[in-house]
Amino acid sequence: MPQFGFTISQPRAVNLDTNDLVPAEKILHDLPELQTCIACGSCTATCTAGNLTSFNFRKVHTLVRRGEYREAYEQMDKCMLCGKCRLVCPRGINTRAVVMKIKRELGDY
Amino acid sequence: MMTYYDHFVIPFLVGTFFMFAVLLWKWGRWLWMLPGEDKRAVGRGIFSAETFRAVREVVCESLLHRKIFRVNPLLGYMHMSLAFGWFLLIAVGWVEAATVLGPGTPLQAHVFFRYFGPEGEAGWNPFAFVMDLLLLMVLSGVLLAWFKRMRSRAMGMKRTTRHVFVDRVALTALWLIFPLRLTAESFTAAIRHNGGFLTGSLGDLIASGMSAATVADLNTAAWWAYSFALAAFFIAMPFSRYMHIFTEVPLIFLRRYRLRSGPREKSFDNFQIQACSRCGICLDPCQLQRDLGLDNVQSVYFLRDRRYGKLTDEVLGNCLMCGLCEARCPVGIELNVLRLNSRQKRVDSPALMRYDYLKGADRSSGSGKVGYFAGCMTLLTPATLQAMEKIFAAAGEEVWWADRDGGSCCGRPLKLSGEVNAAERIMERNKELFRKHGIATLVTSCPICLKVFREDYALEGIEVLHHTEYILRLMRAGRLDVERTPDTFTYHDPCELGRGSGIYEEPRELIRSVGRLTEPAHHGAEALCCGSSLANTVIDDGQQVAIGRAMTAELEATGAKTIVTACPLCKKAVGRAASVRVADVAQVVAEHLRVAAEVPCGKVRTEPVGERIAAAEAASGR
Amino acid sequence: MGKEVIVVGGGIAGMQAALSLRERGAEPVIVERAERLGGKLAGWHKLFPTFTPAEEVLGPLRRRVEEAGIRVLTGTEVEELVPGGVVVSGGRRLAGDATVVCSGFELFDARLKEEYGYGIYDNVFTTVDVERMFNEGRVATAQGAAPRRIAFLHCVGSRDEKVGAHHCSRVCCITGVKQAIEMKELFPAAEIYNFYMDIRMFGPGYEELYRRAQLDYHINFVRGRISEASQTIDGRVQIKAEDTLVGRPLKMTVDMLVLIVGMKGGASNGSFARSGGLQVAGNGFMQPLDPFAGNVLSQRDDVFYAGTVTAPKNIGESLNEGVAVAERVAGYLKL
Repeated sequence: MPQFGFTISQPRAVNLDTNDLVPAEKILHDLPELQTCIACGSCTATCTAGNLTSFNFRKVHTLVRRGEYREAYEQMDKCMLCGKCRLVCPRGINTRAVVMKIKRELGDY
Repeated sequence: MMTYYDHFVIPFLVGTFFMFAVLLWKWGRWLWMLPGEDKRAVGRGIFSAETFRAVREVVCESLLHRKIFRVNPLLGYMHMSLAFGWFLLIAVGWVEAATVLGPGTPLQAHVFFRYFGPEGEAGWNPFAFVMDLLLLMVLSGVLLAWFKRMRSRAMGMKRTTRHVFVDRVALTALWLIFPLRLTAESFTAAIRHNGGFLTGSLGDLIASGMSAATVADLNTAAWWAYSFALAAFFIAMPFSRYMHIFTEVPLIFLRRYRLRSGPREKSFDNFQIQACSRCGICLDPCQLQRDLGLDNVQSVYFLRDRRYGKLTDEVLGNCLMCGLCEARCPVGIELNVLRLNSRQKRVDSPALMRYDYLKGADRSSGSGKVGYFAGCMTLLTPATLQAMEKIFAAAGEEVWWADRDGGSCCGRPLKLSGEVNAAERIMERNKELFRKHGIATLVTSCPICLKVFREDYALEGIEVLHHTEYILRLMRAGRLDVERTPDTFTYHDPCELGRGSGIYEEPRELIRSVGRLTEPAHHGAEALCCGSSLANTVIDDGQQVAIGRAMTAELEATGAKTIVTACPLCKKAVGRAASVRVADVAQVVAEHLRVAAEVPCGKVRTEPVGERIAAAEAASGR
Repeated sequence: MGKEVIVVGGGIAGMQAALSLRERGAEPVIVERAERLGGKLAGWHKLFPTFTPAEEVLGPLRRRVEEAGIRVLTGTEVEELVPGGVVVSGGRRLAGDATVVCSGFELFDARLKEEYGYGIYDNVFTTVDVERMFNEGRVATAQGAAPRRIAFLHCVGSRDEKVGAHHCSRVCCITGVKQAIEMKELFPAAEIYNFYMDIRMFGPGYEELYRRAQLDYHINFVRGRISEASQTIDGRVQIKAEDTLVGRPLKMTVDMLVLIVGMKGGASNGSFARSGGLQVAGNGFMQPLDPFAGNVLSQRDDVFYAGTVTAPKNIGESLNEGVAVAERVAGYLKL
């Protein structure tokens, strides 16, 4: 089977009228710098796990911020927390903390 | 037969009984819950010479506080006069009571001997003299403790610990015990003339200035107050920081019997946690406090919060694990290990399927008995990578490159964040990879990888070396030749390499082989952290930079033209703050190599790996 | 004898300021660190968005300065601003009734982004290197071959907290587009990729040039920042980025990687601020009195600014400030 990204990219619109944004707001409250992401993709480009799997850190945390939590936990579980992404992020986002926070907040999803 | 009873002894007796009951309950429970392995170690140790060594250590540390003396003599004297002085007061008092009243006298007769003992006789009483001398010694300690509360700087400490309520109760009681004892014994001396040079003289003074009836009333009141103070201290003690007074003793024995805390919480941890006296020596060296003004996350607060079950993610995660405080802890508590196993408890999950995608994933290239594992971070410092390439070529070494085209993480970052099971999954995969390629030596440029390879991988038959150790070995074997220059270098010890792995001399020797080395103010075992430690998951980028700037300023103050380090993460952190050049030791060596023919750099390449990766992904069901 | 005005820096803003001051009857003296007037523009080949040779802007300015008989001190660096003048290299004091600081910007040192391999790999260049190659008329890889694949990376040293640069250097986007087109004209068969985070085409004719780059020159724009580069066995450069519009990592090997370096505040700004009682903004550039009516004024009545000393600017804006500052100095000196 060809690899077309991963399954949390649902073939439907991100509906901000219906999505529950409370968990996303909690994450952003604790890690406000995540708001400053300019989606440059450096984190995903350098990602140790992303070079071996379809894990895309930028996409997962962006979807989480939009209230799309499906499989976010499972995706973040691929991360090895090596910290390369934090070293290349031009916005100085504490990416490792983002991974851990998302897993902590969305463990039940 | 005398009963040695007066109503005022009741609070003291209740307090004492309560304290010992709680102590026995706590210690008994912790010992009972020790894992079998630890219990066997205790069994083996009890009848060995370790027991004698433990006794000696108890005297040196728990009573004399030798280690605190080394931090600051005045602070050491304060602790010693309180601990050893009180101990002698009890011991000598016991001997006095036993000598005068005969053996088998009840506890309260020992403790309140001046009250229950015989009237004073004419002439010099050596016991009364010694007891007064000891009381004076303890009182001087109490006085210093008051002074320390007000002026901690004078005792070599910029900060003292903020205490919880039960600590304050115990502390107040402790401060009152000895002045009250002095008062009570002086009043009694006024009536019974049984005091030494201190209480006796005060007693004479009291007798000359007050009516006998007043003295008698105040005498009773003083003994009541003294008994209450003792009771308050004993009841509060097991729940306060003063639990350390007694807990340090079994801790020393258990440590001598080779008990250690581990990656997962266990019963032995309790002995370490409750042996913390909250002295606050860990506060001053902490860079989070020094450079960021964070003063509520240090080891003392971590242990306190863990003990009382109030540990937050903020306190738990906010530590660089640089090891500076651990090195200074007078009780020798394994602060980093305890913090790690708290993190493990909080976040770890079985992780059975995690990292299956690493199965069969092999992006390595080349072949040889020497394997080189750059580490994730080194891939972002290509100058180090290139220098290693040049060194390998100059030494004519055949090298297997484990991860130059991107590889796996070593697992230590996960371990540092508490995901021990997940880290073990990664380690298994990497071990398979190392075995598959039949290497005999594993060289890494990353101290973080080094530490986990050495401590957790159990790579029998494969020698693990940091690149500084490896390069020095090549040089000593005559396989590398470098040119000396008049240049000046300074060296930053990475935490995981220095305090973490005990490698201080190798990088220095390499630097000295090419130029002059000047040391920054803090170096070697005292070296500062660069601030970018993976162990800290809380501080933000700006805070990392603030720590990096402060430590880089020390390096720049040496006036060296090049700041050398031996860790890719440190290199990046120092590079963000430095105005001079920052280089890895490998670069410094590679730049000064005397080579017959120029070796081409960066010209070795891997074969295509796409197919294998796709296969690995398919295998892991993605 | 008119009032003496010290012009710190002989780039385009400094030359224009001196010329405009002279027209108003002042006695400007240009103090230039380099041996020749011209500033950063002196190293440039052609200008965006019109591909006008830099010499067509620089030449007339230099000639007019000479014709006007403006005093020029080259090879002289201003070290401090003091009341009533400046202190130049060697501790010599230069007196003036007013000072116009036109000391410009510094280029970001690309070696600080070690992961891109500038100074480590053979075929990693900066936009400055490329202009030099254009000027020398020899554009080739380190191996001397014609490049068949070139990647440009935008925002190197701009918008990057890891190098302490929060600001956008503004002109690099259009520089990248300009150089990509020039490369394509030199090597029509080459594939050119520009890796960007945002394309900011703020000036007149810029967006049009961007469109032409895409339509007429087939330059590929990939939305993603390169995270790292490595060197291949044949000395080419392998780069890694995320193609963020596709959402997948992207890897490619190129013959040349060009880092589009940004602008940062002048190295002397700190000393100017300390000695002159002025303010440096958070981004390292000098802080003008206010960003609207007072953007050529400083916190001191007798010190003025023009050009990129206060912020990244293009050539037109810098020249305009040279004209504007003369008006403000004239007001202050009652010329």
